[in-house]
Amino acid sequence: MGFLDKLKGGGAKEAAAAPAAAPAAAPGPGGKREITIEPITRIEGHLGVHATLDTGAKKVTDAYAYSPMFRGFEIILVGREPSEAVMITQRACGVCPVPHGFASVNAVDQAYGVTPPPMGVVLRDFVHGAEQLYDSEVGVLNLEGPDYSEVAVKKFNPDWWGEAQNTKAERSDVHGFATVADIMTALNPLAGELYLRSLLVQKAGHNMAAIFGGKHPHVHSFVPGGIAKINLSASDIESYLTLLMRHVAFTKELVTATDDLLNFVLAQGYEDVGARDINLLAVGSYNDPEAYSADYEGMTELGRKRMVSPGVMLNGEVVTTDLVEINAGVREFIGRGWYSSDWAQEIETDPAGNKIEYEHPWNKRTLPEPGEYGKWGSKYTWVTSPRWKNWKGDGKNNVLELGPLARMWVTAKVGLVPESTGSSLKFELPAAVIPGFKFADKMEFEWKIPAKPNTVERVRARAYYNAYSAYCVTSLVMKALELMKAGKTQVWTPYEKPKEGIGFGAVEAMRGSCLHWCVMKDGVISNYQYHAPSTWNASGRDPEEQPGAYEQALIQSPITEAGDPAAWKGVDIVRTIRSFDPCLGCAVAVHIGDKVVKHELLPFATPE
Amino acid sequence: MGLEEINIIWLEGQDCAGDTITIKQASNPTLIDVLTGAIPGLGGLKLAYHPTLMFEWGDDATQILVDAMEGKYDPFVLILEGSIPDESKAGDGVFCVIGEHDGKLLKLSDVIDSLAQRCAAAVAIGTCAAYGGIPSGNPNPTGAQGLLDYLGKEWTGGLGLPIICIPGCPPRPDNIIQILGQAVLAARGLAPLPELDEWHRPVAFYGYTMHELCPICGFYAEGTDAHAFGDTGCLGALGCKGIITNCNNTTWADGYGGCTGTGVPCFGCTHPDFPDAPTSPFFAKAPAMPFIIENMKGMLAHAEMGFERFKPVLEALLPLVPEFIEDLDRQMEEAKDKGRKI
Repeated sequence: MGFLDKLKGGGAKEAAAAPAAAPAAAPGPGGKREITIEPITRIEGHLGVHATLDTGAKKVTDAYAYSPMFRGFEIILVGREPSEAVMITQRACGVCPVPHGFASVNAVDQAYGVTPPPMGVVLRDFVHGAEQLYDSEVGVLNLEGPDYSEVAVKKFNPDWWGEAQNTKAERSDVHGFATVADIMTALNPLAGELYLRSLLVQKAGHNMAAIFGGKHPHVHSFVPGGIAKINLSASDIESYLTLLMRHVAFTKELVTATDDLLNFVLAQGYEDVGARDINLLAVGSYNDPEAYSADYEGMTELGRKRMVSPGVMLNGEVVTTDLVEINAGVREFIGRGWYSSDWAQEIETDPAGNKIEYEHPWNKRTLPEPGEYGKWGSKYTWVTSPRWKNWKGDGKNNVLELGPLARMWVTAKVGLVPESTGSSLKFELPAAVIPGFKFADKMEFEWKIPAKPNTVERVRARAYYNAYSAYCVTSLVMKALELMKAGKTQVWTPYEKPKEGIGFGAVEAMRGSCLHWCVMKDGVISNYQYHAPSTWNASGRDPEEQPGAYEQALIQSPITEAGDPAAWKGVDIVRTIRSFDPCLGCAVAVHIGDKVVKHELLPFATPE
Repeated sequence: MGLEEINIIWLEGQDCAGDTITIKQASNPTLIDVLTGAIPGLGGLKLAYHPTLMFEWGDDATQILVDAMEGKYDPFVLILEGSIPDESKAGDGVFCVIGEHDGKLLKLSDVIDSLAQRCAAAVAIGTCAAYGGIPSGNPNPTGAQGLLDYLGKEWTGGLGLPIICIPGCPPRPDNIIQILGQAVLAARGLAPLPELDEWHRPVAFYGYTMHELCPICGFYAEGTDAHAFGDTGCLGALGCKGIITNCNNTTWADGYGGCTGTGVPCFGCTHPDFPDAPTSPFFAKAPAMPFIIENMKGMLAHAEMGFERFKPVLEALLPLVPEFIEDLDRQMEEAKDKGRKI
């Protein structure tokens, strides 16, 4: 019997399991329904959520997020040169490799004790910024956009369509679409104008990264002590700037069209969809090249001088903006991950003398223990459960949300940059007259702190972060030209590699933050741990039974999908999951009421 | 099978979606050109399944895979991105599930087993899919393999073609789209089949080493070595593996980038053994033997090249030789006459 027969329930064993697992089962008792969504597409990788729906009240009542794919990068890194981690960890994600490379090279700079020259720092930021630009465009318009396209709306929220046709788009002077319905049509996959133009414009982001990275994804130019770039000239920077201006032109259309679309969606009862409390983490991006230091305690100033500010917010209040304090508070629980937590505490304090706990990634080891699939009451995912301990406060372990919404929020709130007003971020992008783009004039942007994190605001923040990144990178271009005029063209600092070392590096990725920890002994990696941008958001339950950020956003989230609940496809759930722009191998299974989805591993199929 | 319409089933295994992100950068042609049928001969391609780009999700998505297994998407090309784990090493658990259908898990390996029995052709994009890549790096915690090892070098698809490998981490954007394009044209009888080497790489793209095609190889020839990043010179001393790596990344996309031309040593990401020896340690010098062989070959070849270049001069000088010898003899006689020894 082949795999297909087994899949169709041809075997006695499988046939027994099939009825309980039917995805479109009739409404169960109490107006509850079982639905399975796997894979969640239009994300990077493999992720799942298992939830309970109340079809009467039209809301999600429980949810579990899980990832069913494992590769073992941290195991592969042990025994290698720390500098190899910079290349290898990027390959964890082909969508956002550069933040991995950036955080990794920061950690290795620290472990080696080598500070790059200012030009080395600014060129690394060029590559990083280029990636943020392409990534946010693809995220908003090609991955999340189709969920609000004409195709999706007519299918899942048909009552929105007529109203969208009658809703005038406020910023049609910029983006050129007369009504909200026109914007929805422009988001149709492989056909809509915005969808297709995004595919063309995003190429410029990769090109920009390739100028200083050699290639993208997976740039090879980040080396401890700086960047590997030869024959640096003003013309390289000019090429970069030329491509940047295409993003500057496009982001004006992107932000205004997204604003018009999302304001409409919000008015359709989307305020509480994907909502959660204001518990946020940002680590910051876009360095002051003169402030960069490989000194651990120097991170405090390095972080505070970033154009995107680091910070932890608990219940809407800023607790810290210090990268050293942020690092000391990180705890990584195995939670419901298929791992063992049987490791030794090797690091007691950080280089600043702060206590480092057993669960800190400098101590944590990656010890896989594959277990049965679909056991929601015990282990159910390959994702661990990072939490931030408020170690100077109440000592509680907090579930934090990362991503563009978190970092825009923190940056606007903490007031470390001139663009921050305390309640918004204000900045201006220059004029860009480029054929094929609709709006040539300069434009003022203001991103305002919303009432709460929710599905709509996450997408909106991603669009605005595209504009803010274009703004930050434009000012870095000017900085690079200044350095060049001053003759500071050195891109790399030579160093003597020590035998022992420890390092921590952190930078924003599009959909979260990359945090990397390196411990070097005898000149090679003895332990390497990293948090991918989605690790925090996609985490499962922790030892205190606190759900992860995806799970929190889904639990109590309203359902707007029209039609018979038995035929729901879970569009609100995938919109919420995609609003986080997940970046791991993921899938979503939703579990209703007392019925448990039974997962049965299929035996290895032998061709007949 | 009729080939006017060809479906593409693109699976992601132990991957990072980097090859998908890369194909979106292709220019000659672009992905849009191909999918909208703008290129004569390449029309009729449908991206039936692609986890990162498709509209459908959940059961609507897995239904496509199940239908493909039943032949409803024939003819189709199977494309794999990412490696395949050995699930027998996962005990009670799983290393790579790509979906769930009717409550049953779709393990990557099972889906590949099934689709490989009826696909028209199979293409492995990226070093992971081709040879295992990063997940198979020592100590290979999940027993990851590439498609070439998984299905075997003898495997052929419905069109009689062996697996086509497009290695690189990721491969150049135009490499991916042009190799796929040529395969489709060949399947329709409009172009010759791509010639493959022993690693199933198209020779037209992977027939030379990065060292042979290197934009700054002149520095190697003149003996200028870089010993610091940022210094202009051959990157061999900084760990460049171009001499053992078949790759054509002279520029990345649209004329921008290119590893060695930018100043970045090649780390051998298209190499079947990447990321282990001989590509690792990335910053250690490449094995000496290829350099020794190249230098020996180079000395002989340079002598021959020199002879070729100076041949006209030598040929013009040759008739003068007897006269020159006569002249020497005469001088000798004269010297003897003068009683002097030469």
